[in-house]
Amino acid sequence: MRRFLASFLVALLIGVGIGLYLGWVQFPVQFVDSPASALAQSAKDEYTLMIAGAYADDGDLNGAVERLRVLGVDNVPAYVQEVTERYITNSRGIDDIRLLVRLAEGMGRLTPVMEPYRQLALPGQGA
Amino acid sequence: MKPDTLPEFDQTPRVAERYQRPRSFISWAGVLLGLVLGIAGGLIYTWGFDPIEEFDTQPWQLTEADRAQYIVAVMLDYSHNADLSLATQRLAALRLPRDFIQEVADVACTLTTEGYANNSSGLRAVRAMMTFYQLQGRSGCADSLILADVTASPQVVLIEPPTPTLTPPVTKTPTPDAVDRVGGTPTAFIVPTSPPQSDFEIANIPTVCSEARAGLIEVQVVDFNGQGIPGQLVRVTWDGGASVFATGLKPERGAGYADFQMEPGLSYVVDMPGRADPSQPLTATSCPLEGGGRSIITYRVVFRPVG
Repeated sequence: MRRFLASFLVALLIGVGIGLYLGWVQFPVQFVDSPASALAQSAKDEYTLMIAGAYADDGDLNGAVERLRVLGVDNVPAYVQEVTERYITNSRGIDDIRLLVRLAEGMGRLTPVMEPYRQLALPGQGA
Repeated sequence: MKPDTLPEFDQTPRVAERYQRPRSFISWAGVLLGLVLGIAGGLIYTWGFDPIEEFDTQPWQLTEADRAQYIVAVMLDYSHNADLSLATQRLAALRLPRDFIQEVADVACTLTTEGYANNSSGLRAVRAMMTFYQLQGRSGCADSLILADVTASPQVVLIEPPTPTLTPPVTKTPTPDAVDRVGGTPTAFIVPTSPPQSDFEIANIPTVCSEARAGLIEVQVVDFNGQGIPGQLVRVTWDGGASVFATGLKPERGAGYADFQMEPGLSYVVDMPGRADPSQPLTATSCPLEGGGRSIITYRVVFRPVG
């Protein structure tokens, strides 16, 4: 009986370890029905970029702010500024940066680091 | 008379050997039971009581409402850059349970009925979605609830007839030609070109004669493992026209599938713009069916990565 109990306890401890590894590392819980605020940063960036592209197209600032609120950020202009400056410091694609700078500028968040990426409308050209 | 050896005397050494054998320290029954209970307990704890904190959530994991907002963003971006390949890739990443183009139509329908399109911003978004799915041959209830831009109230444009003006008289000093003014031959600019580079090549173009699927160009774009790749642009060119479409828009036929309906008698060339060289001309000729009768030939063009 003692032999059985000792084997059982040792195996139980090993089994718990294996179970924790499987449940936390190898096969963790897959969440569904998650809010957009829980999106991975890369997905949030892509979403922000899509909204910036839409803003460049239609100039609808209110629409852009409302759509970015889905991400659950408290201060949308500050969030856009943060994403834009991160894109600039990480040397991301120039077209993406320009779109974000345009959105940041529309929200009154144009900072000196964004200035070189600002697109000015020449007379006779669209914005 | 007692026998020399009795059967029980023969077994005695074996019984003794059995009880004198050194016992294993491990009870395999205990090990098995412990492992099973331990793993089960660990999984119950990690999945039920203390799951990992949610991180790196992908768009496909979003709630239905937030996924709809994500689709809106994809459509607005598509209306900005007209990048069909990118839009289909983003939609495919949402892992929608069925035809994702029709899903866009359904989301547009839901948003419209919920009053999302009551302001100009929402209306613009729904129209962007309508443009996208209508171009792909889908329809939804938003079509009847929202009028397209083209049906907006017509504007009357008054055109003033031009006032005739007299042609100015010819001047005595003719204006010299630009080349003559320079006095030399025009400078020829040689633009260096790089050799064409292709990502894909046509693996083969088998033909089929089928009554059900007559006169089609069925395109499959596959990767090195033969798996279909969605969102790849394919172009069909014919005398006087061209059509560009993306793979994966008919997911029931495969992720890398796309097709094009040919007109009988015309010839078509298939390529992937900038990524694969054009095919030989594919002519929509008549072909004999197995059971008698005739149909229009169907071509199956398979693009695969180069190398």
